[in-house]
Amino acid sequence: MVSFFHRKKRAKESQTRSGGPEKKKEQLLEVSLAANVDHIRQKTGHSQDIVIRMLKLGSRGEMRAAVVYVKGMVDSQTIYDFILESMMTNPSLHDKLTPEEAVQLLTEEAISIGGLQRQQRWEEVFTSVMAGNALILVDGIAEALAASTQGGERRTIQESTTNVAVRGSKEAFTESNETNIAMIRRIINDENLWTESMKIGRVTKTDVSIMYLKGIAKEEIVEEVRSRLKRIDIDAILESGYIEQLIEDKTLTTFPTVFHTERPDAVAGNLLEGRVAIFVNGTPFVLVVPALFIQFFQSVEDYYARFDIATAIRFLRIFIFFISLIGPAVYIAATTFHQEMIPTELAIIVAAQRESVPFPAFVEAIIMEVTFEILREAGIRMPKAIGSTVSIVGALVIGQAAVQAGIVSPAMVIVVSITAIASFATPSYAVAISARLIRFLFMFSAATFGFYGMILAFIMLILHLCSLRSFGVPYMSPMAPLIPAEVGDTIFRKPLWAFKRRPNQLVSNNQVRQADDQKPHPPVKDQKGGGRDA
Amino acid sequence: MRKWLLFFLLMMSVTGLSGCWSKKELSELAIISAMGIDKNEEGKYVKTVQFVNPGNVSGGLQGGGGGQGPAVTVYTAEGDTVFEAHINSSAKVSRQLYHPHANLVVIGEELARTEGVNVLLDVFERNAEVRSTTKLIISRDMKAGDMMKMLTAIDHIPAEKVNNTLKITEKMRGENVVVSLQDFIKWSTAPGIEPILSGFRVEGNLAEANKQESVMQMDPAANLEANGIAVFKDEKLIDWYEGQTARGVVWILDRVKQAEIDLEWEGKKDAVVYQVMRQNTTIKADTKKDIPEITIHVRAEGAIREVTKPVKLDDPNIIAEIERAAEKEIKQQLQKTVERTQKNQSDIFGFGQAIYRQNAKKWKGLQENWNETYFPQVKVNIEVEAFVRRTGLRTNDHLSELEKKQSKGGE
Repeated sequence: MVSFFHRKKRAKESQTRSGGPEKKKEQLLEVSLAANVDHIRQKTGHSQDIVIRMLKLGSRGEMRAAVVYVKGMVDSQTIYDFILESMMTNPSLHDKLTPEEAVQLLTEEAISIGGLQRQQRWEEVFTSVMAGNALILVDGIAEALAASTQGGERRTIQESTTNVAVRGSKEAFTESNETNIAMIRRIINDENLWTESMKIGRVTKTDVSIMYLKGIAKEEIVEEVRSRLKRIDIDAILESGYIEQLIEDKTLTTFPTVFHTERPDAVAGNLLEGRVAIFVNGTPFVLVVPALFIQFFQSVEDYYARFDIATAIRFLRIFIFFISLIGPAVYIAATTFHQEMIPTELAIIVAAQRESVPFPAFVEAIIMEVTFEILREAGIRMPKAIGSTVSIVGALVIGQAAVQAGIVSPAMVIVVSITAIASFATPSYAVAISARLIRFLFMFSAATFGFYGMILAFIMLILHLCSLRSFGVPYMSPMAPLIPAEVGDTIFRKPLWAFKRRPNQLVSNNQVRQADDQKPHPPVKDQKGGGRDA
Repeated sequence: MRKWLLFFLLMMSVTGLSGCWSKKELSELAIISAMGIDKNEEGKYVKTVQFVNPGNVSGGLQGGGGGQGPAVTVYTAEGDTVFEAHINSSAKVSRQLYHPHANLVVIGEELARTEGVNVLLDVFERNAEVRSTTKLIISRDMKAGDMMKMLTAIDHIPAEKVNNTLKITEKMRGENVVVSLQDFIKWSTAPGIEPILSGFRVEGNLAEANKQESVMQMDPAANLEANGIAVFKDEKLIDWYEGQTARGVVWILDRVKQAEIDLEWEGKKDAVVYQVMRQNTTIKADTKKDIPEITIHVRAEGAIREVTKPVKLDDPNIIAEIERAAEKEIKQQLQKTVERTQKNQSDIFGFGQAIYRQNAKKWKGLQENWNETYFPQVKVNIEVEAFVRRTGLRTNDHLSELEKKQSKGGE
């Protein structure tokens, strides 16, 4: 069995290798412009969106040059104003020049664009063109100038749709890495905010950047993130989910060990705690590692609200999580094994409802849960215009008809609805969906062993959660292992002025977060203790 | 991998083996609400079991024709033992008998008088399904089975009606006590105290009471009512206490929560109604003499609830007088109860326990024949302190104003 899987894996590997683009040899540009242009044309398959603008330099226009860029990827205005125009009108470029001098002049005088790079290798050249740089080729020199002219149509910064908060910044990340990184820079104005970029994906060559606060983030964790990212050798990275799945500590779990968010303030807060953020171009979802279990029950807003309110809400979230996990299971266990635990009046009501139901409670619950999941999935995937139809049909089918037909009991509908609402109330979709899956396990164990089975399943769940690690940090910390000093920011949220230190597990040595005596107090007028009236 | 496969198969087989072990769907259960025990002429135990018809209780929900039939169904079975009768009853019921929601055991008076209650209780105590908090009552002047064959209004399940009635009346009137299975067993096995139970009787036409029409009327054909306290001696029922005598027992046991006491005022009987709102009763034993002396100390606080004759309630002296009158009345009532009980030779007050607590050695000597020899001879001192704390929304009654008006009119 083992070898079988291995063989399969190996076969797959070789397939991707052969199917993907072959590793290029160190191919260099040629001296002749015509040859270079030809090479570009050929390599890009004469694609229409690759613009090659030929022009002339030198005293009598004897020197030929070309500007190459991809339509739509570049900011055309920049190309017209700062490349084409200056190349054509700059008087010094029309003196008698050698190609070497021309390139020198271009870099130093003519092109007024921030990023300008000399490139010799074809691989570099193609990567930069495809990333939206404008390429300037001059005849007679085996070099290209890559000017950063990235632009084109992009989604603007909008309000977050997945991490909604009542209070706090309305900005959400966009699909552009530069914008996203800049958004964090705007929040944390410190030179210790370091970023590292790399391109991942053989074909897509996606920009992936990691960001951390030097001196706060633990060096080992940063190194671990770096090495895990470097290890990735895949054809495409289309979303940060790709990265997430490729850098997880453990894959055989329904729980997320990488946190993702759309909110810059959430990322900033996490960076300040010593975590590492991973930006992936093309998605507004930024990854944050290491992630702790309790983190998925926290929202940025918790820190904006007063601590008592935030604590109450966190308790509620944990409660909600438990409902969404064991709601139907409790109902199954109580009605099929532990009828004595239900108060008499309630037991009679439930019994009356179940009288006409032809299925055992478990089957009933499964029917309802599956129906609900179908509805939910349909609601998400349907075009918005049809979505409301689905909900109407769903409400009628589940809420009315099924009960009236006597196929399910009203109590079951209530249980399933509460569970459904609870699963939507969990702040993290990733945790909610894993609870949704584990719910079926609980239902199954409740149907076979009652509460005893549920407790067994629960112990298994706890053991599993405790066995997880996220970049070496125990997933359940600071509860397991217990770090008393950090429990203040788990289910509880201690007052902001009491957050003296950063989390120990994540932060290297710069642990002090704030000065002593941050607790606010009314103005002290005089030492005798007289108030305002005195 | 083979190891995992094996593990997986093992796990799967476990779930398969367990199957539906002890699994029982709610709709497969016959939820018992009450049980009654009698003995018939042939000397066999007759067990009456009252089942809930869930569909008829929570009326008008869906399907099942909510509220169409009676809320409960009664089956009767007989056997040489209570358990046999129980087993035999399963021959008549289509579902599994389910006890945990039974909260009432009714014992026929006749059976309680001839055989006592304790012999019947072992079967309940032993069964894991039966709650030890199940309440115990005696059906007065009738068979338990007959009492269970009647329907009740408001609370559609008779067992619940009985339990709630008992609870409320103990609190409001103090003439009954709620006694559960475990209370009774503890009570009867403890030295120096004898158990009591509450009685229930049916008022009205019993023959009509088992029909649905009965509870559909404004005035049901018959009603179940808490009535009296059953006094036990040597495990058997010997006497019924009612009214003030019954309350005296509850009082001495320090279980009275509220009690109303009618006082004579200026020659008029029942002129002032004093309601005890809070009370504390302690029993102390003085074991210096050969026959111990018992002191019952009552401290009662209450309010004036009604006057049927003008009383100057704004006068502290009058209030003090009322307090004295209340003390006297309470003392008299308790005395009557004590006298009757001493005559019955059954120490339901737990005087023996008080002596044991005071002087364990002495109790050892008295223990034998306590009920017959010593208990009737014990001198009982009753001390009562009563306080009037409130007079309700009025201080002086409007009756005195009325009197004033009339006397003016007369002038």
